[in-house]
Amino acid sequence: MSIALEQISKHYDGTAAVNDVTVDIAEGEFFVLLGPSGSGKSTLLRAIAGLTTIDHGRIVLHGRDVSSVPAKDRQVGFVFQNYALFRHMTIADNIEFALRARRVRVNERRRRRAELLALVALEGMDNRLPAELSGGQQQRVAVARALAHEPRVLLLDEPFGALDARIRDELRRAIREIQRAVGITTILVTHDQEEAFTMADRLGVMDRGRLQEVGEPRALYTVPRTRFVATFLGAANLLLGHDDGGGVRIGDSVFRPNRRSSPATVNGTEATIVIRPEDIAIAHEDESAYPHPIGTAAVTELEFVGSSERIRLKVTSSDHLQSALSPDAGAFTIEASRNAHDSETFPLVSGQPVAFGAKRIHVLSTRISTMRLIAGTEAAGKQLRESVLVRDLADRMHIVPSVRVTGADGKDPLLSGLAVVALEDGQGLAGAVRVLQAGACQVLAIGNGERPVERLLIYTQPSRPARDGALSAAGSLLRHMNIDATLLVRADERFMYGRRYRYLLDIRESALRVHGVDVRTESFRGNIVHELALRLRSSATTLLLVGVTSTASGRVLIDGLGKLVSREACAAILLTSARGEPEQRPVWPEFRRYAVARGAVARKTSSCKARFAADRNPAGARLPGG
Amino acid sequence: MATRATWLQPSVLPGFGLTIGIAGTFLGLVVLIPIAALVFKAGSLPLPELWRIATEPRALASYRLSFGASLLAAVLNAIFGLVIAWSLVRYRFPGRRLVDAIIDLPFALPTAVSGIALATVFGPKGWIGQWLGSFGIQVAYTWAGVVVALTLVGLPFVVRSVQPALEEVEASLEEAAESLGAGRWTIFRRVIMPAIAPALATGFTLALARAIGEYGSVIFIAGNIPLETEITPLLIVIKLEQFDYLGAAALGFVMLCVSFLMLLTINALNGWRVRRHAGRR
Repeated sequence: MSIALEQISKHYDGTAAVNDVTVDIAEGEFFVLLGPSGSGKSTLLRAIAGLTTIDHGRIVLHGRDVSSVPAKDRQVGFVFQNYALFRHMTIADNIEFALRARRVRVNERRRRRAELLALVALEGMDNRLPAELSGGQQQRVAVARALAHEPRVLLLDEPFGALDARIRDELRRAIREIQRAVGITTILVTHDQEEAFTMADRLGVMDRGRLQEVGEPRALYTVPRTRFVATFLGAANLLLGHDDGGGVRIGDSVFRPNRRSSPATVNGTEATIVIRPEDIAIAHEDESAYPHPIGTAAVTELEFVGSSERIRLKVTSSDHLQSALSPDAGAFTIEASRNAHDSETFPLVSGQPVAFGAKRIHVLSTRISTMRLIAGTEAAGKQLRESVLVRDLADRMHIVPSVRVTGADGKDPLLSGLAVVALEDGQGLAGAVRVLQAGACQVLAIGNGERPVERLLIYTQPSRPARDGALSAAGSLLRHMNIDATLLVRADERFMYGRRYRYLLDIRESALRVHGVDVRTESFRGNIVHELALRLRSSATTLLLVGVTSTASGRVLIDGLGKLVSREACAAILLTSARGEPEQRPVWPEFRRYAVARGAVARKTSSCKARFAADRNPAGARLPGG
Repeated sequence: MATRATWLQPSVLPGFGLTIGIAGTFLGLVVLIPIAALVFKAGSLPLPELWRIATEPRALASYRLSFGASLLAAVLNAIFGLVIAWSLVRYRFPGRRLVDAIIDLPFALPTAVSGIALATVFGPKGWIGQWLGSFGIQVAYTWAGVVVALTLVGLPFVVRSVQPALEEVEASLEEAAESLGAGRWTIFRRVIMPAIAPALATGFTLALARAIGEYGSVIFIAGNIPLETEITPLLIVIKLEQFDYLGAAALGFVMLCVSFLMLLTINALNGWRVRRHAGRR
């Protein structure tokens, strides 16, 4: 591994510029960090170079932990957006700077300089001053200068930002060639999607301080995992698909999502579907669009852009066809594009009704596709919508939340996506529990919603479905909110005997790999409700995320949490429920065998187990909701 | 029109004629005419007489002190002014704005006031003078006192010239140097110094010019012992008080010539340096 970053965090004035970033970059790889401005990508790059200190984490370059090594000893070449050439020095002196700092002999310096100037195709420019060169040439010099001391890592911070389009293209190609020729591991930071696609071996997309997704450009484009990456990399139509017995229905077609590319997609009722504009098929109104017809629409706009044609279609929502951005809107727009050939054989005019379908669809693995605010009255719903947390989430997830008013019969309407209720005084979690019982998989209960949430505490009951539900919800939240997250894992004396450590590692591994989010793991002893009560007393406004099982222990936990939230200040609590799993299925079946094999240990643990069982199911505990 | 176009570049902003006219008149009234009067007055002396007055032992001693102390003060200011500017630009510390404001005080204070203050503090019974005296060092009423006074009045020039230049040194230049393996001293010497050298030279020149012309603050601390701690401007005033206008004009003329030559040389050196490094655009 050439570059290994482990849980890098960097805070400026309390807000995280880089938040728990973990990534491995292979030897000789060209890795591109892509993200909007302010996403923390430059900060991360500067941290690798040692130009910025980090608050947390480890930076390992070629097996050497350099987290506390000063920049000058990191053996890293850095290229700045503004070139940062030494204006008073000739090109030769600029390139030889690193060699001179290392007291390399004159002959060797000359040889190396000639070599580098040839590499960047600037032979004979030795005695010029930077000001006499064009922008593109200056950046070539900067690259040559950064390579002079034969670093093993090359870092490029938006190196083409200040150049015009033609030079930029040329320089991109040149740098890619140089990188291949030298074989140096390279990280490039950019906000330009085309640049990222053309240059990257692998691409990391950053937003709000988090590394959202990492993958090959083609994979990220065709099978993104998050709404952000789907919409940030090129145009995307986001539709809401509905569960239809193992497949996803959108309009007239049912798709069976590929398990490999889209894990854990349909959480009972709905899923977010990405269709790229070029994957929209358009047919005559009375035909059906090949191969997967979806519905009918009206052409509203046609744009000729040379090699292709951009089309905007207006679609009327139906039960089976909704926009994932705003599910309750009556109509929404779909963007399509066709090649010149298609637009000649089937010319369209504005206002023309057409049938449309999809050539290919992709189902996102995000668990939260919609947000429904559940309240007794319209006014209460509006108030819920105004709370900081709902506004933030809706804004960042690109969801327009809809308000559902509880019916007069007390029954809740169709529940899917993220249900949001208010935490009412003296009610504990009763409202949230009712929604869970009505069939929701995740309920967000919002308390005093006036302050932004600062941290997330995650706890999940020990069952695989509960854990997966909680972690994937945490993944969705954390990708959209720049807050600290901590996963709490119970560590009793029993942990000391080995197996549970594996659970602890497993859970982090699972969080990272399956749900694409790295969280810090902290262990605690004793009762989770007591632990949460302790942690809630510190000043930061906290969002609790608790994965519960539908078993008796789950109900006990919810009961405890209900009492907790009526006692302690808690910004919000998100309950994720795992439905339909068998009662009391431990995640660590090996443990019991291990304990039995050791007599002394078994005695001790058995008493612990008895205590644990009592803790889970105290006599006379009232189960909420009957 | 044709001849005008050869030296007057067309400009977006109108009013070239007007502004150059005002500039010329103003410079003429305030600078050139008084200097011409001085030269004219000195020129009315026969040359041998001028030479005699200008090379009197007392005059020679005063030149040595005036120019020597000024040069020394300007050097001291260049060093410490750079350090002060550095700490003001690079660090954020409580009271930074206050320090920033204090720098300008020597500008605002009547020089006589600062002279008296210095004489009090550095005098044999003053706070610092007493302490220095215990080591056998006397500042007040010696050439060292002159240097102290001249340093005080020249300091703001260096700080104020270097400050903006330092602020303009991009952080990325230093970062680039650091990532290329340069230590702090190398970065300072090879990256920062070349970038601020012109500003430092300007500050040095201004401080020097100011020191040569300084009168008010020096006379209080210098003691004004003929041949020892008497500066040229004081000698001129003494001559004026004796109604020896011609003698005063002669000394003034010498100062004018030497100062002009010095400033010209420094500017020429600096110009050559700047052209060598940043020129050839």
